Amino acid sequence: MSKVLEIKELKAKIGDKNILKGLNLALEEGKVHAIMGPNGAGKSTLSKAIVGHYNVEVTDGEIIYNGKNIVEEEPEERALDGIFLSFQNPVEVPGVNNAYFLRTAVNARRKHLGLPELNAAEFLREMKALVSELGMKPELINRSLNEGFSGGEKKRNEILQMMMLEPNVVILDEIDSGLDIDALRAVSEGINKMKDGKRSFLVITHYSRILDYIKPDYIHVLKDGQIVHTGGPELVEQLEEEGYSSFEEK
Amino acid sequence: MAQEEVNKAIAGEYNLGFEIDIEQDTVPPGLNEDVIKFISAKKDEPEWMLELRLKAYHKWLEMEEPTWGKVEYEPIDYQSISYFSAPKKAPESLDEVDPKILEAYEKLGIPLEEQKQLQGIAVDAVVDSVSVKTTYTEELKKHGIIFCSISEAIRDYPELIKKYMYSVVPMTDNFFAALNSAVFTDGTFVYIPKGVRCPMELSTYFRINAMNTGQFERTLIVADEGSYVSYNEGCSAPMRDDNQLHAAVVELIAMKDAEIKYSTIQNWYPGDEEGKGGIYNFVTKRGICEGENSKISWTQVETGSSITWKYPSCILKGDNSVGEFYSVAVTTLAQQADTGTKMIHLGKNTSSTIISKGISAMKGQNTYRGLVKIGANADGARNYSECDSLLIGSECGAHTFPYLESKDNIGQVEHEATTTKISDEQLFYLRQRGINEEDAVSMIVHGFCKEVFSQLPMEYAVEARALLELTLEGSVG
Amino acid sequence: MKLDILNALDSDSLLKELKSSSSKSVAASALAKLKVPNKKTEKYRYFDIEPLVTKDWQVADIAEAEPRSEGKKIVIQDGALVNSGDIEGLSVELAEFSDIDSEHFDGLYFLSHLMAKKAIVIRCSKDSSFEIEHIFSKEESLINYRVVILVDANTHVQAYESFSGDAKESFVLSGYDIFVSRDASLKFIKSHTLKQTQYTPIFTSRYKVDSNANLKLSSFDFSFANGLNIIRVELKESANIDASHLLYVSNSAKYGIVSEIVHEGKSSTSSQKAKSILDSGARGIFDALIRVQHSAKWTKAHQNSKAILLESGAYMASKPQLEIYIDDLEASHGSTTGQLDEQQLFYLRSRGIKESDARKMLILAFAHEIVATVDDEYLANKIYAEFERAYYGNYELDCIKTCDGCEELVLKDEQ
Repeated sequence: MSKVLEIKELKAKIGDKNILKGLNLALEEGKVHAIMGPNGAGKSTLSKAIVGHYNVEVTDGEIIYNGKNIVEEEPEERALDGIFLSFQNPVEVPGVNNAYFLRTAVNARRKHLGLPELNAAEFLREMKALVSELGMKPELINRSLNEGFSGGEKKRNEILQMMMLEPNVVILDEIDSGLDIDALRAVSEGINKMKDGKRSFLVITHYSRILDYIKPDYIHVLKDGQIVHTGGPELVEQLEEEGYSSFEEK
Repeated sequence: MAQEEVNKAIAGEYNLGFEIDIEQDTVPPGLNEDVIKFISAKKDEPEWMLELRLKAYHKWLEMEEPTWGKVEYEPIDYQSISYFSAPKKAPESLDEVDPKILEAYEKLGIPLEEQKQLQGIAVDAVVDSVSVKTTYTEELKKHGIIFCSISEAIRDYPELIKKYMYSVVPMTDNFFAALNSAVFTDGTFVYIPKGVRCPMELSTYFRINAMNTGQFERTLIVADEGSYVSYNEGCSAPMRDDNQLHAAVVELIAMKDAEIKYSTIQNWYPGDEEGKGGIYNFVTKRGICEGENSKISWTQVETGSSITWKYPSCILKGDNSVGEFYSVAVTTLAQQADTGTKMIHLGKNTSSTIISKGISAMKGQNTYRGLVKIGANADGARNYSECDSLLIGSECGAHTFPYLESKDNIGQVEHEATTTKISDEQLFYLRQRGINEEDAVSMIVHGFCKEVFSQLPMEYAVEARALLELTLEGSVG
Repeated sequence: MKLDILNALDSDSLLKELKSSSSKSVAASALAKLKVPNKKTEKYRYFDIEPLVTKDWQVADIAEAEPRSEGKKIVIQDGALVNSGDIEGLSVELAEFSDIDSEHFDGLYFLSHLMAKKAIVIRCSKDSSFEIEHIFSKEESLINYRVVILVDANTHVQAYESFSGDAKESFVLSGYDIFVSRDASLKFIKSHTLKQTQYTPIFTSRYKVDSNANLKLSSFDFSFANGLNIIRVELKESANIDASHLLYVSNSAKYGIVSEIVHEGKSSTSSQKAKSILDSGARGIFDALIRVQHSAKWTKAHQNSKAILLESGAYMASKPQLEIYIDDLEASHGSTTGQLDEQQLFYLRSRGIKESDARKMLILAFAHEIVATVDDEYLANKIYAEFERAYYGNYELDCIKTCDGCEELVLKDEQ
């Protein structure tokens, strides 16, 4: 199996606090990897480090994507190359029209891939179809980006963006947090539809609930800034029964 | 609160308005070079100090009294004020302090001998113009801390005085600072050496006692590298029919990694409900965060004086330095307060916080006036200001005048202000639960001030709360 | 004429010197008291007034020829009414005007009235919508004139102000006296792009909003040169004002709003919102006072200023002020000055939008909120396009097409 994204001995801090302490992880092509771990283990920091968030300072190690270390790359370069993060709490951006924003992003990505840009009509047709598929209210298309969206609407909007941008690596940071059962179903259907045998997923979660909907191929246990254990889907049960404390060592 | 006291408060009777009968040593009213020479001689000052005083006096003569404050008062006749008043006998120990003074402190709720000492507070008490007694000096000396009256400091530590006095508030900074520079009679000097954390709260009580004497004290606090000091100033004055002028200057200097916390409780005589009598309080207070990571924090509870004109400020020069201003100002009767702060950001990543709570009742006029200035090189500077006003009754006024000047594109200045009255809904809710109206109001007002009171040292917070209650009794309804 | 020499005169001599009618003695005594402003005048604290009041100006003569009366536009050229328009329900004439706001805080307001022999008086007796175009062509002159708009009771009017012409090195001193009568409403929209080499404008106005009347003021100033808008508003019982200001200042210019909203009547409401975007070296001024008088209980007053400094060296002077003399009210203000939101910027970039585009997007979004207060869709689009032109034009960037057909609008506008 070829590795799409490989993280080697990654150390990162937020402010003065060391969070990631030599983390190793490899994502395989077409697979779903789940990262589980207790609060404060560094799950969100890991996702932020991969996409180049301004709060996270990588002090050592590498993130190899498409054969090159991307640690120094700008966030938009990583995005254009196909890394997508579904944020845990998507920020509200008043005044920026949702459709306009997404068209700009989609066309930037298409341009990067050497594809023709979509005109407004083509784009809207596609967006509307996906909006209805995700069970979103059509008026959200013309609202300001995430502004006044409910928790579920925000998450669906993240999935909508993912579907339109067609990334190679999808990171889902606590995608299930704050979702009711209908939203969870719609969101995970959207995600499952995106599984095509090539695209890789990194599902970051505190609870195992989401893994009933998105079946993982691998489970990684993250504790205190390191991956302490890697196994198959059967680990979920073990984690549910014994908790994280049984995974003390590598 | 006993009904009697409530009635007194309603009647405008100032319960700290008693007078101590001590033999005075007072110069006749008026200001000229001779008076300044008299003050300097009385204080046994070196020649250089007299020269500085005279220089300030001549500058003052050329200056004009500021008129931009939102306060109205009868013109002050500077020639009708007596500029020196001191108890004749200088006491050498607490035992020698006139029992009447001690008794006065008792009435003020300042049992100098017992309570404060038991609580580990060193007190430099000033009655009118002379520092009566400094306690705990010896204890402090062990840590190398200098805590004495400014007159002593001028005699004993001339190098420190020459270096730091006028360095933060230049003698010509403003009209009142110039006047103070010429005629200041006493005040406090504190020096905390490198790396020393002052083991106790330092405290000074000022009291204006003699009739028609202005009080012009001067305070200078220097916190050397890595040191910490918390200083408390409380004020009160007896009842007078004529307005008394008070023009103090306070200078704070915080070196690298040093922290100064300066708290004030001011409950000078506010005058009556017609605005008659009461103290004119024109004060210049300013601190400089000279070194990196230094911090100056001002907390004030202003309930007294008929006119308050006061802007405790911070010059944030050292990188990463922090300035804070927490204020509760209450104006009731016919009081007028124009108070606030200035936060001047010069160093990188400097931050400042301003929390101002104004309460106006009866005919009180309360103004917040503040300046936040972010210099072009103060990259990453941050300011947050919150100025809330509470109005009780329909005859009072609350005004908010912030000046926000930002020149740095990676700095951030945020200001918020609200003006409200106590909501009927809140009041009703509390009353429905069986709390009477006065208590309900007091509860809400305390809630309104909580953020500021929590900045005060414990025992002062208790005092501030009691004072607030006393001040507002009778203005509700 | 040098304006600051007037400061030596008392009110009678002012009337004589400025050849004003004695009906304007109110203005003369107010000016004698307030004085022609100088750099120490509080309300001009952040603005460069000195060069304007010390220069020896050639005062432009105002022609009094018979105006045309065609089209839906009132045209004023260098202070002269050249087209009174053909608009139903409107009468436009030159008349002596003496109902001056004696409480105004600005010396130049009174000076402008004293210097203007007649005012252009627009009376709106029926619901209508019209445009006033100001053309400035006289160079190196002091162009002074006054415009009065009277909106009759229970009448609903929209007025849109536009500007053209260069008038290099001139000082435009003008402004409005606007009366919105009982139960009437006025939407007043001003859009002004001031180029680097143009005149310096000081518009000093007063608005009187009568009981139950409604004034909606939207100003858009995109400026590469110095200028000031001075506004005083009086609100009677149950009157309402909604004021929105968008300011984009560049090229080291100083531009701003100085306002005073006075609540006189009970249950009056005001809401004032300003957004400023400042480029390198530019100074934005928002000096806004809300006064609630003792008579104005049950008032609601809210004020908010937000500024973004795009470059280091940009300068925002924000002075939101509340002056309140009654307890039964609701009042608040807020002011923030800073940069674009880091989180928002990151979010856009994490979707592959390059940083400079993401910044542009956020700037436009910032401006959009104020543009959206104009409910006339055509005008809103036009103003948005003007903003983009001012902002991108300066950066020499391509328009990223926020609206379909913005080029079309621009073309139409330029024809």
